[in-house]
Amino acid sequence: MKFNKKSRGVVSAVALASAAALVLAGCARTVEPSPGITDTEITLGVISPLTGPTAGPGNCTVDGLKAYFGAANAAGGIEFGDGKTRTVNVEAADDVYDPQKALSNFQSMKDSVFAFTSGLGTATNRAWREAAIEDSVPQVLIMTGDPIFSNIEESPQQLGFVPLYQTEGSAFGELLAASGSDHKVAILSQNDDFGKGYVEGFKSAVEGASNIEIVGELTYEATDTSIDAQLTELAGTGADVFFNANSQVPLVSNALLKAQEIGWLPSWFLPSNTSSPAIVGPNNGAAYPGVYSTVFSKSPASPAYAEDEDVKTFLANMEEYSGVTEIAFPHCVWSYQVAATLEQVFQKMKEPTRENFMIELRTIADFEAPLMLPGKTINTTIDGQSAISDVQVVKFNGAGYSPAEEF
Amino acid sequence: MFTTLLSNRWIRISLWVALAVVLILAPLSLPEKTNQTITQIAVFAVAVLGLNIVMGYNGQINLGQIFFVGLGAYVAAWGVTQEWNIVLVFILSFLVPGIAGLIVSLAASRLKGLAIAMVTIMLPLVGVPLSKRLEEFTGGSQGIYAGFTTPPDWSGLARDQWQYYVVISITVVVFILGANFVRGKFGRALEIVRDNESVASSMGISPYRYKVLSFTVASMFGGVSGFLYLAAISYTSPETMSFVHSIGLIVAMVVGGAASIVGSLLGGAYYVLIPQITNAINPNLTAVFQGIILLLVLFLLPGGLVTLPAAIRRLVQKMKKSEMSETHSTQDSTKSVTKDSSLKK
Repeated sequence: MKFNKKSRGVVSAVALASAAALVLAGCARTVEPSPGITDTEITLGVISPLTGPTAGPGNCTVDGLKAYFGAANAAGGIEFGDGKTRTVNVEAADDVYDPQKALSNFQSMKDSVFAFTSGLGTATNRAWREAAIEDSVPQVLIMTGDPIFSNIEESPQQLGFVPLYQTEGSAFGELLAASGSDHKVAILSQNDDFGKGYVEGFKSAVEGASNIEIVGELTYEATDTSIDAQLTELAGTGADVFFNANSQVPLVSNALLKAQEIGWLPSWFLPSNTSSPAIVGPNNGAAYPGVYSTVFSKSPASPAYAEDEDVKTFLANMEEYSGVTEIAFPHCVWSYQVAATLEQVFQKMKEPTRENFMIELRTIADFEAPLMLPGKTINTTIDGQSAISDVQVVKFNGAGYSPAEEF
Repeated sequence: MFTTLLSNRWIRISLWVALAVVLILAPLSLPEKTNQTITQIAVFAVAVLGLNIVMGYNGQINLGQIFFVGLGAYVAAWGVTQEWNIVLVFILSFLVPGIAGLIVSLAASRLKGLAIAMVTIMLPLVGVPLSKRLEEFTGGSQGIYAGFTTPPDWSGLARDQWQYYVVISITVVVFILGANFVRGKFGRALEIVRDNESVASSMGISPYRYKVLSFTVASMFGGVSGFLYLAAISYTSPETMSFVHSIGLIVAMVVGGAASIVGSLLGGAYYVLIPQITNAINPNLTAVFQGIILLLVLFLLPGGLVTLPAAIRRLVQKMKKSEMSETHSTQDSTKSVTKDSSLKK
């Protein structure tokens, strides 16, 4: 760029003035708090299915948060990194698992909510992911194993909480491949990202293992009311391991009974959200050589943890602050752990801004959240992984689950 | 008095102009959320309008309208990700559902009543798993993000304002087309076919042809709604065409007012606003409150929200009448008194 003498003078004057303005602005810098936070309160938003077919787990994503923060508020609130003590409000909205309603809820709430968290669902969370990025609103520790939410480059305002579906599938695959003995595997998966994620993880783990042969692979729809036909066909393959990537509790219950009825008794693998002892026990899971799953948290329904201090506190808080007495879904435990993780972030936050929140959110490592299994921790610092990336393969023991070191 | 005013052509025209000016200026001063809500209302009003054409005006039970909305959204999303010209994408997004609707109705419109309802139920039931499997087109169950409503630099508008203009301008055109379609020759033919097919046949109107026509037009409107859905939401997934939403559209049509153009608009407003309102009341009881509101509307206004002005007018007239009859009766009594006195003379 060429300037003549006169205009050069003007340019330098302008440059000087703007430099001075910048310096002055820097001196007078006060941090403007983000929406949803004051000196005494912070508001979190949850967009989940609270009515409709997925209402059970959906309500749990709110109840766990309310239980944890209810107790924290009753104790006087949480001291943030900026020295101020704040109480935490949880505002929930129902999306009925409809992406349009989820986006509409986000649009309604984004000016009154500091950060969105704990919401359940892949499609519903995806529906407003781009909008959250555009408006720089946090959408963190959400209940989906979809990897896109845990990729910093693609999702700078997001982070998943539960393990990626792939992580769970591959943990079991590794255990199986390491067994040394020959196994024939039959795979049944839900026709969506959930089922595909598990199968992808499993296959990548057994790839190249000469002792593992996949002898049958079928799918079903999440809306199906029966998977008997698939079970019968897979039983015909003579597989001794049944990898059932199924997120529907009634279908898992029926399948456990149906396979016994037709005399097919393989070892089972079930995902963490459909393998609770309350499902496997009553349907005679003990009839099989083994029912395997992956876990990272304690199961409050399991008799093994009846005397556990963590579990006792959790159950008491759930009853007092959420009015829930029966923990039917693991999502209640998970959202309780989400709340504990958020508390860690709050304690580190130096400024009441979403920007600072997102920075501190990604610094939590080796955090032993309440209800975590011994040795399992929350780690938000690994790009490409959700907050929980370390899972334990466990085996059903008739009453609850115990760690499975070998197949 | 109001109707005589409206019968003046110039007053009518100036009212339309005023409405147009309000529609154009409103988004510049309204809050972001209001613009977004109006935009979403327009999206579903177009879907309800399509449903009204096939069901309200023509009497064919269509439980699959959401399938055409979903299909239109997928076609639009596919076109956008392939970076095709947006006008071409728009045309395809109603042409493809239109052709699908034509094929379905060629078979389905031979059926009557519950049978055609069953055929149309099948559309979303097949559509959801199918869209999960056709992953390279639809993105599978994770859906497909395809935003094309980023405001151009020259406009100086925010995203919500640009989305509003895109969606509202298409909606206005579609509603004018829809209104013209259901009036005049076609509209009368559709209603005769709905009310009595034998009468229609004896008048030289082929019920079959008109049923296919209305079903196809409705599917095209569904497709337009799908395009608008993508313009407003920027994302679509198999959940978009879930069967429950088809029922939601029918409820919206009945609540708004069947066989009514304005009713379609009100239906769209009902579809979008009620979940927002019930969420504000109690997020855990949205379904319960939606049921209560639906029942209230149907009990108080069986013809839908569109009959509200007529209902109010009836009420006012009733009150006037009772007032009048009261004054009449007092006049009568004075008359009779004078009569009596005259007799006495």
